Amino acid sequence: MKPLRSIFIVDDDPIHQQITEIMLDRLRVTNDVKKFSDAQDVLDHIRLHIAEPASLPDIILLDLNMPVMDGWEFLEAFSAVRGTLPKPVKVYVLTSSIDERDRQRVGMFDFVEGYLTKPLTNDIILSLAR
Amino acid sequence: MNIALLSQVVEALPDPVAVFDAQLRLVTLNSAFVEENKRYLAITFKAGDSLLRLCDAAPHVRGEALEHWQRALSGERFTLVVPFGDPPLHYKISYSPLYNGDDTVHVMMIIRNVQQETEARRNERFFRSVLENLPVGLQEFTPDGWHRNMNTAQRHILGEDHPANNGPYNVFEDGFNRRTGLTALLDEVKQRKGPVKKEMLLRYSEIHDENVTRIQPLYYDVTGFPVLDLQGEIAYLFIILSEITEKKLAVLSLEKSERLLYTIVEHLPVGYIQFDNFGFIRRVNQTQRRFFASTGLEEQPDSNLIQDPFARLFELDQLFMQVLQKGKMIRLEKKLEFQVHNNGGKTDREVFLDLTMFPVEDPVDKDQIVVALVNDITEKKRQELENVKTHEFLLQTGEIGKIGGWEVDMTTRQMRWGAQTYKIHELPPFTHMTYEKSLSFFTEESRNRVELAVTACMQRGKAFDLQITVNTARNNVLQCRIIGKPEYRNGRMVRIYGVIQDVTEQYKIRNQLTRNAELMRLFFDTIDMGYAVMDKDGKVNFINRKAQEIVDHGKVIGRNIFEVFPTLVGSTFHARVQQCMMLQAPVSFSNYLPATDKWYEFLLAPMQDGNISIFTRNITDSKKMQRELRKANEQLSSLNKYLVNQNKQLEDFAHITSHNLRAPIANLKALMQIMNDTDGEQEKELYRGMFQEVIKNIDETLNDLIEVVQIRKDLNVERERLVFSERLQKVRDILFVDIETSGIELITDFSEAPYIEYPRIYLDSILQNLLTNAIKYRATDRKPSLKLQSRMVDGGVMLTAEDNGMGIDMERYGAKLFGFRKTFHKNKDAKGIGLFITKSQIEAMGGSIHAESQPGAGTKFIITFSPE
Repeated sequence: MKPLRSIFIVDDDPIHQQITEIMLDRLRVTNDVKKFSDAQDVLDHIRLHIAEPASLPDIILLDLNMPVMDGWEFLEAFSAVRGTLPKPVKVYVLTSSIDERDRQRVGMFDFVEGYLTKPLTNDIILSLAR
Repeated sequence: MNIALLSQVVEALPDPVAVFDAQLRLVTLNSAFVEENKRYLAITFKAGDSLLRLCDAAPHVRGEALEHWQRALSGERFTLVVPFGDPPLHYKISYSPLYNGDDTVHVMMIIRNVQQETEARRNERFFRSVLENLPVGLQEFTPDGWHRNMNTAQRHILGEDHPANNGPYNVFEDGFNRRTGLTALLDEVKQRKGPVKKEMLLRYSEIHDENVTRIQPLYYDVTGFPVLDLQGEIAYLFIILSEITEKKLAVLSLEKSERLLYTIVEHLPVGYIQFDNFGFIRRVNQTQRRFFASTGLEEQPDSNLIQDPFARLFELDQLFMQVLQKGKMIRLEKKLEFQVHNNGGKTDREVFLDLTMFPVEDPVDKDQIVVALVNDITEKKRQELENVKTHEFLLQTGEIGKIGGWEVDMTTRQMRWGAQTYKIHELPPFTHMTYEKSLSFFTEESRNRVELAVTACMQRGKAFDLQITVNTARNNVLQCRIIGKPEYRNGRMVRIYGVIQDVTEQYKIRNQLTRNAELMRLFFDTIDMGYAVMDKDGKVNFINRKAQEIVDHGKVIGRNIFEVFPTLVGSTFHARVQQCMMLQAPVSFSNYLPATDKWYEFLLAPMQDGNISIFTRNITDSKKMQRELRKANEQLSSLNKYLVNQNKQLEDFAHITSHNLRAPIANLKALMQIMNDTDGEQEKELYRGMFQEVIKNIDETLNDLIEVVQIRKDLNVERERLVFSERLQKVRDILFVDIETSGIELITDFSEAPYIEYPRIYLDSILQNLLTNAIKYRATDRKPSLKLQSRMVDGGVMLTAEDNGMGIDMERYGAKLFGFRKTFHKNKDAKGIGLFITKSQIEAMGGSIHAESQPGAGTKFIITFSPE
């Protein structure tokens, strides 16, 4: 049995959060899902628990378009704190945008594990868990 | 009486004392008495001697002395002063009878030499009277300045009504003295404890001169001095006043005349140098300084004529010695050549001087001084030389210009020719010549004209100037100009005289020129371009047919273009002409002439002779074409802008659909999947609820999009005249509840631009969005307010909406502020559509919107409606 993953869903759309959580739940990929509607909250959480590996996620599913702090700003800020984290945190961009420019821009952040377009499928979720 | 005791008492007294009895015998006497008589009368007294010995020694006092002794013996006590000897010494003698019971037995005589006191008293009287009668004023003060005494002269100076004459007076408290300086003088005396002397103007006197009263200042020498006591402190202060008005006035007048003389000398238009008898320069005036500053003859203490190499070079030292020794004036012209230093370079200068040197005896110290008057006659000299040259030139001109003189004597009909005239006619000089013979050299046509002219001259005194053809003695044909004038004496014509000039060369040249000019005219007339030549002042010297057509104004040749067309003064044309003249380079420009409603292109080119060539061409057609081209360009660019705008909108929509429609659709897809994967009815119910939520979401987004698309498409939505205040009232009515709940304060100023031509729905929507935003994003810690103001800027209406709300970080969110479905606040109501629609509604009508804001400091939206 693989260790259960801790996953943060960062998206301002509550429906999407709910759907994603249900899907993750169903596939038993994780039993530790945290939902954030603002990237700022995620960043605050990481900074607050920077020395507690158990409180940090293994995977972040990050939406791009959000109020206050959007996905881009989060990527900028996260690239600065990433090196200080006690364990690897994988970031996946999960967006409805199929704009090629967005995909290219995400490519500039080399630590981002993947650019996923909504909706998530079971296959994708299972590949994340591997 | 105890004689022994008395003797001791007497001896103890410091003054000479003797006691004598009724028989005038000395009973006792002290050694001082003995000494005194010994010294002055050569008598040695001792007790028992008779006083009468005194009378023997000084017989002239005998009677008086005997009388005094008897008075004393009779019991009287008295004191008197007696002169004694020759020169008299004054003694004060006190007689005191000494009683023994009732009988007077003895008299004590105390003698004191009071010579010094007497003298002092007499001296004081003497000095007092001297001081009193001194011709200078004398006044005495206490050290504190209180007046004590003054003499007659001082009383006179001060005047009878001076306060010192009438009660206590303090010299330091009198303001007048502060003004004259007396107070300061006395202060100085007190400080220095010594005499101080100053000149002062103390008062004025009136001088009556017939009917005129003149006020004359009176000057005084004032000397103050202290009298010190034995301790060296000031006991008294004295002042002595002596009038020096005349002396002062004399000095002043001397100074005045000296100044006057100095000024005269200084401003003499000729150079002035004054030497002392050693050759040192003592004074130089400004002319001298200015003209000859560089000659080295400067007013310097050690500038000596005899030693100065420059002065010696021009023999000024010799001249000086001559003047000094012979005592005579010398005047001569001198030429100086020297180098002037200027601006770092050297210039050779040649100066002619008219030099006058003469000796003067100094009226005061009787020294011989030498004055030199130096006149720069360089210019005069130059003119003289010029005259000589001109004269020579004139002589030569006859030769070069081939001009000869002639005259006809009216009485003898004799003709006289000048040497050059013979030359012109190719005759040997001094060949006999008559009027008739001279005519034979002219061609027939010329001869006729000359004869007519001479006749007219003889009859009416008319001068003539003709161009004639001459056949010379050697049969050469010459073109000549003959000029003749009459001369009258006593009202009668005595002769006709004049010159004849060979102008063959000039004639040829002129012919050539005329031909060239004709050719040029032909050339310029045929070219399809205006051409004119004018001089630097604007006088037209040449104008071709085309240019004549362009100016379309009668005859302009030979006239000043700026006088013919006064409107040209100060015009572009005028400015360019000046520019061309100044730069001496071609200038081209185009100019619109309103008179003809045409555009002309000009080329101005400077010519070697100082004239300007003007080429001009009608370019109205091409100008119009240009204008149309520009218009077309503008249209193209506006079309381009429109297309770019359209493109951008398309991009916007692509973005919007990608972000805002794909998201809910993705949700739908995902929901479908999880719904398919489940069998639980309860779960399915949950998903259906979520379905509805998503579909509602899609519906809203689509509605928003439709609204926007409608705006973007609806470019020709109708404008109407809207009053801002009315439309705002409408919006206030709609948002009544929100306004009341938030307590927002609305401040409006639509005074500068009260209305606008605009689609009503749009304006309502814009105002509503601005107001909604201000309410939605108000700051919680203060009463919200929104200030709406309309203004006219560059012909268009500008609307500003300034709130005091929470503001926005423009650096972070500025780019997305007007984006579709973009929100920046964790506000549930924030949908991110209002500003997007507002922007669409403004841009659709050609306007623009931007925002200025800072977090916490409110937001200002600035809307510029395009002018229509």
